Amino acid sequence: MVDEELLGTHRQELRRGTVVLACLLALRTPGYGYALLKTLDAAGIPSDANTIYPLLRRLEERGLLKSEWNTDDARPRKFYRTSAAGAELAAQLLTDMTSLAASLRALDGGTDR
Amino acid sequence: MTLTERYLAATLRGIPDGQRADVERELRSSITDAVEDRVEAGEERAVAEKAVLEGLGSPTTLAASYSGRPMYLIGPDMFPAYRHILVMLVAIVVPVVAVIQTAVGIGGGGDYVDALLGGLAAALNIGVQLAFWVTVVFVVLERAEFAREARSEIAVATSRWTVDMLPATTEDRVTIGEVASEVFTTLLTIGGLFFLRDLAWTTEADGAALSVLNPDLTAFWLPALIILMAAIGGIWVVVYLVGRWTVPLVTAFAILESAFAVPVIVLALKGAIINPAFAEEIGWRPLAEGDGPAMLALAAGVLLVTAWEIISAVRRAIRSRGSVPKEVPS
Repeated sequence: MVDEELLGTHRQELRRGTVVLACLLALRTPGYGYALLKTLDAAGIPSDANTIYPLLRRLEERGLLKSEWNTDDARPRKFYRTSAAGAELAAQLLTDMTSLAASLRALDGGTDR
Repeated sequence: MTLTERYLAATLRGIPDGQRADVERELRSSITDAVEDRVEAGEERAVAEKAVLEGLGSPTTLAASYSGRPMYLIGPDMFPAYRHILVMLVAIVVPVVAVIQTAVGIGGGGDYVDALLGGLAAALNIGVQLAFWVTVVFVVLERAEFAREARSEIAVATSRWTVDMLPATTEDRVTIGEVASEVFTTLLTIGGLFFLRDLAWTTEADGAALSVLNPDLTAFWLPALIILMAAIGGIWVVVYLVGRWTVPLVTAFAILESAFAVPVIVLALKGAIINPAFAEEIGWRPLAEGDGPAMLALAAGVLLVTAWEIISAVRRAIRSRGSVPKEVPS
């Protein structure tokens, strides 16, 4: 039985590296902070609100996201959308991530059998 | 005022003016979205609000995360430089200040215990001051906008590491030659002290013997200094047998060296070493005077040599800490 606390710590480490990629991929369809949280949650990538909200602003500062206030609804919401640069970065990171997963699987098969 | 308003106010306090309005608007809508979602799922509004805010966590942390300001005083990039500079300054300045203050205390005519306590207090004071100011400088370096360049230079300098920087181990073995020369110097000093004790000058006038050293000195201080010298020589022998400087050895060494140096400096500054009558006789009265060039030079020399001996022993103890000495070469 794996120690729950240890597992939690390492899971968090693992996810920390992928949260930027997840945001950039998800926001190719424009969305606002809370909606993004729900989207990520539904996609099986649960994230903390206090990580995502500041992260969105930082990604915008670096030009990876673009934002726009939508005041059409009853509540004004800030919508974010992945920029061209952000999409390019996301594609590259996704390739890396996929090959990393494949490498890990191969490593797993190599020692198991 | 609702909990959300209080939460927003607490968070916005930590956010730069330029971003405050936008962050407030966005955060408010995010909180409302989350609360509404929970209420729609059948939760009571007050319960939902509390849960959402607690989920966001401490406003201080959230604000730091928004503004990208570090939540630590000195980060991992700065820490090695900080520690290095602090340790070096404290190791050098504190003992020197302690010795000087003690010497001044005794020279001022106070009694020994008071002077020693004064020395300790001065050492403690300067240690705390150093720690405080070095920390302040690094905290400013860590976060000030104008220090951005210095910050990255320090980070690069500390991360650039080559094998040349490995701490030495074998060469810190205390060698037989080194110990022999130290013991020889010690014996020479002891012999010199005995010689000085008996050294007398025959006056031209009446042929009476005038001792070169102050007669008051020879009664108590001279034997005491000789014993201390012998003990210092003894420590060198123990260091050779152990193979390296250890913390207890360095401590004992520093205490004995100070016990030797402080009285000599004090006696020199009080003009209590050379027999004034002898100085008079050879026609150079300032030789014996506490503020004359000879005694000032003696005091300064003893201070420097002692400080150097202690510092180099401390440095070697630090460097060889944790390393196992090679077997004693025959």
